[in-house]
Amino acid sequence: MDLLQGTLDMLVLRTLGLGPLHGYGIAKAIRSTSRDALEIEFGSLYPALKRLELQGWIASKWETSGHNRRAKTYRLTPAGRKHLTREHSKWTEFVHAIGRVMGPAPREVKG
Amino acid sequence: MIWRKLKLLWPPQRRAQEREMREELESLAGMATRGELGNLTLAAENARQTWSWTWLDGILADFRYAFRALRNQPGFVAVAVISLALGIGANSAVFSFADALLLRPLPVSSPSEVLTVSNATPGNPGEGMSYPDYLDLREKNHSFAGLVAYRLIPLGASSTTSEPPQMRLGILVSDNYFGALGVAPAYGRTFLPEEANANGNPVAIFAYDYWKNQYQSDASVVGRSLRLNGVAFTIIGVAPVSFTGLDRFVRPSIYVPLSTWRRLDGADDPLENRARHELTVKGRLHPDASRESAQAELSTLAQNLEAAYPKTNHNRRAAVRTEMETRILQTPRQVGLITTMMGLVGLVLIIACSNVASLLLARARARSREIAVRLAIGASRLRLVRQLMTESLIVALLGGAVGVLVAYGGIAFLGTLNVPSDIPFVLGVQLDTRVMLFSLLAALASCLFFGLAPAFQTVRADLVPALKSGGEAISTRRRLLGRNALVVGQIAFAMVLLVATGMFLDAFRKMLTIQPSFRTDHLISMEVNPSVRHYSPEHTYDFYRSLADRTRSLAGVRSVAMAESIPLSPTQTTLAVVPEGYQFPKGQEKVTVFGGVFDDSYFNTMNVEILRGRAFTASDRMGTPLVAIVNDQFAKTYWPNQNAIGKLLRLERADSPAAEVVGVAKTGPYLIVNESPAPYVYLPYEQRRRTRMTLIVQSHGDPSALATSLRNVVHKLDANLPIYNLRTVASLYENRATGTWLTYLQMIAAMGFIGLILATAGLYGLISYSVSRRTAEIGVRIAIGASRTDVLRLVLRQGIILATAGIAIGGILVAALTPAVAANFLGVGTFNLSNYVMVPAILLAISAAASYLPARRAARLDPIRALRCE
Repeated sequence: MDLLQGTLDMLVLRTLGLGPLHGYGIAKAIRSTSRDALEIEFGSLYPALKRLELQGWIASKWETSGHNRRAKTYRLTPAGRKHLTREHSKWTEFVHAIGRVMGPAPREVKG
Repeated sequence: MIWRKLKLLWPPQRRAQEREMREELESLAGMATRGELGNLTLAAENARQTWSWTWLDGILADFRYAFRALRNQPGFVAVAVISLALGIGANSAVFSFADALLLRPLPVSSPSEVLTVSNATPGNPGEGMSYPDYLDLREKNHSFAGLVAYRLIPLGASSTTSEPPQMRLGILVSDNYFGALGVAPAYGRTFLPEEANANGNPVAIFAYDYWKNQYQSDASVVGRSLRLNGVAFTIIGVAPVSFTGLDRFVRPSIYVPLSTWRRLDGADDPLENRARHELTVKGRLHPDASRESAQAELSTLAQNLEAAYPKTNHNRRAAVRTEMETRILQTPRQVGLITTMMGLVGLVLIIACSNVASLLLARARARSREIAVRLAIGASRLRLVRQLMTESLIVALLGGAVGVLVAYGGIAFLGTLNVPSDIPFVLGVQLDTRVMLFSLLAALASCLFFGLAPAFQTVRADLVPALKSGGEAISTRRRLLGRNALVVGQIAFAMVLLVATGMFLDAFRKMLTIQPSFRTDHLISMEVNPSVRHYSPEHTYDFYRSLADRTRSLAGVRSVAMAESIPLSPTQTTLAVVPEGYQFPKGQEKVTVFGGVFDDSYFNTMNVEILRGRAFTASDRMGTPLVAIVNDQFAKTYWPNQNAIGKLLRLERADSPAAEVVGVAKTGPYLIVNESPAPYVYLPYEQRRRTRMTLIVQSHGDPSALATSLRNVVHKLDANLPIYNLRTVASLYENRATGTWLTYLQMIAAMGFIGLILATAGLYGLISYSVSRRTAEIGVRIAIGASRTDVLRLVLRQGIILATAGIAIGGILVAALTPAVAANFLGVGTFNLSNYVMVPAILLAISAAASYLPARRAARLDPIRALRCE
């Protein structure tokens, strides 16, 4: 399934809201939470991370994981958390609005 | 976010970022299965874009490229930068002058809201206002958020009673002066409303400069006391450094409330007198009011005042003016000077820009191959124009930067202009941020002017022929046509500049030959003002009599005279007079002319010739019939074709006591040497005693040797009386007659010279270029038998034709512009044949010389080599 324009940032923030993760971990987490429905291209995830970092919504740090492997982990900053809350309520509104317009799925009419 | 991003512009930061990213991507690749992460190079590239400044990088690249391109042509850069520096520098210097005289806004917050309210009478559109009128207007108007009044006053300032006072320029201001203008004190406080009260405590505020120079910036002066004209004042504050007063030319040192006027001046109460129109009134416009509505409201208020006080306010209207209008009204001559100077110096800049444009057009050919290659590999024409304009911009900015140095020299030169007076007149010509900004704008405007057309011309190249031969991409003819037009324009403008220089030189020469109608040698003058010591009128009179008597008995003194003002002093007194039998235009009942009060030895001492009748004598005293002397110009103006002797003259009003004219004196210059003849009225001192007189002493030997003994005489009479403007009449005359004009003349001559040099360089460049273009053609001509003279003539002819065209157009411009210049300057612009013959002759000769060098080069061409280079 393709992502809606502009939703990737929100998904990344939401995922990091649950705890710090490295770049690959974020991609895997989104895929598994969406039960494989959302396939995140790493090629677009990575620039998104850099963009969010530049905005000051996430911060990064080098850490050593359990397998003694160095990786850069990202976590949500307070500013990022605030932004996520805003985005979340906007998203909820958006979904409801779309839902009201679309209604239940129409029956197929044979002409 | 912007900051974080800006940091990444810094190359080391960027490299660190780059390294981090590589490490991170490597570590991630190690975790994921092979190929799972897709194209990592692409991901990195996209990530990089989030922090790149694409547009800025583009501009940086443009600049880098432009610098590289310019480094390869130091000759072009040098010539262009010098041309522009001269043009921009001259403009900036004149701008600083215009700024000081006219343009610089008032040093208050939101200066554009501050308007001037003055009385407009039939004789004077910008007269001052009386204090009672001011109070009425201030109270009743709704147009102004604050209406302030002020007036300059000479103050003798001393810290203690025993110390001799120093003459300072004080200013009486209304209590709301600082508040309404939005000026907060640097130290202490400003005036309180209750200090506007006539019995209020005498308090004073220092101007910042005065405080800095006299009190070494000691903040503890606030609260101390100070004696001004003998009255004890308490210092309550210091004005901020930015606030230098509302006047362009004088900077008062001490601010005191208007309520102390009577105590400082000692005369009858000026605050009660509706006939003393001496206050300047300015106000900050209310946010809801406009200038028009304010004018309408104040007109009505003035009419009400006229109805209520017909005696003092007859024909007194209110005029609301912007600061600029007020300045133009006050100093129309300076405005004329500025406009002329700005116009001339603008021509210099146009000539300079034409030079650079011409050089760029010449380079266009040399670069056509490079341009064609870049077009061929896909650069857009607009992108190339941007590239070329970047080069022009760098040249313009360099020119502007060097131009600031040129301006610095010009400003230092203008700074030598001075007004002869002890009271500090300031002509604030300075190299400040406004001048810098102007230079920058001039550089940017020049860049557009000289860069844009050549840039488009350059990229219009036709690809195929340009690539093929590296030769002609644009027809030479069209390009030469553009350059020819530029050179013709340059010569035309240079002609205008030179004719203007000639006109000023002419006027200056004439001024040097003017013989003043009074003596300037062996004279020294000195001013005293006993009003600062609160003498009674009788005491003042006795003081002057003893002063004159004691001076007369000094060794080396030939004669002594007293005058209210001396000719050519920058402060001339005036009189409002009603000449008998003169029909004034409707609504006007008196005329204000230069004039003053003089004792009976004045005419002899100053050698002012009496043409008819007699001078004042000792018998013109209090109690004898009132007499007056007018000058020839006055007699001619008000009693044409009549005998002025025996006519009656009244002061101020048609019903005041009449004085009989007993003599007609020779008309002389009064304010400036080359003024048009002005009417003048002399009244005898014994009949009209004044408190402020100038003592004029004629010496046997060197007049300046008397200075010390004069000081001593005054000191013995009253040790607390300040002396000022002690100077020889010759030095005053020299300053007024030649000093100022010489400075203007030198400035204009410098412009003419720069213009000529630049135009000559332009012509030389063009002819050289065209010779180099025609090398092959000239080679053929020589090969088939043209003599060296033929070639010489061929090339010279081209230069002469251009010069002639330029001179012809310049002649038309001069004919059109001369009346405007003549209207701005007295004595300038009168037709002078030699000027109109000399300038074209000089231009033609210089043009011929500029063309001769390339022509000789052409004539010496070796035909074989010339043909081979084809």
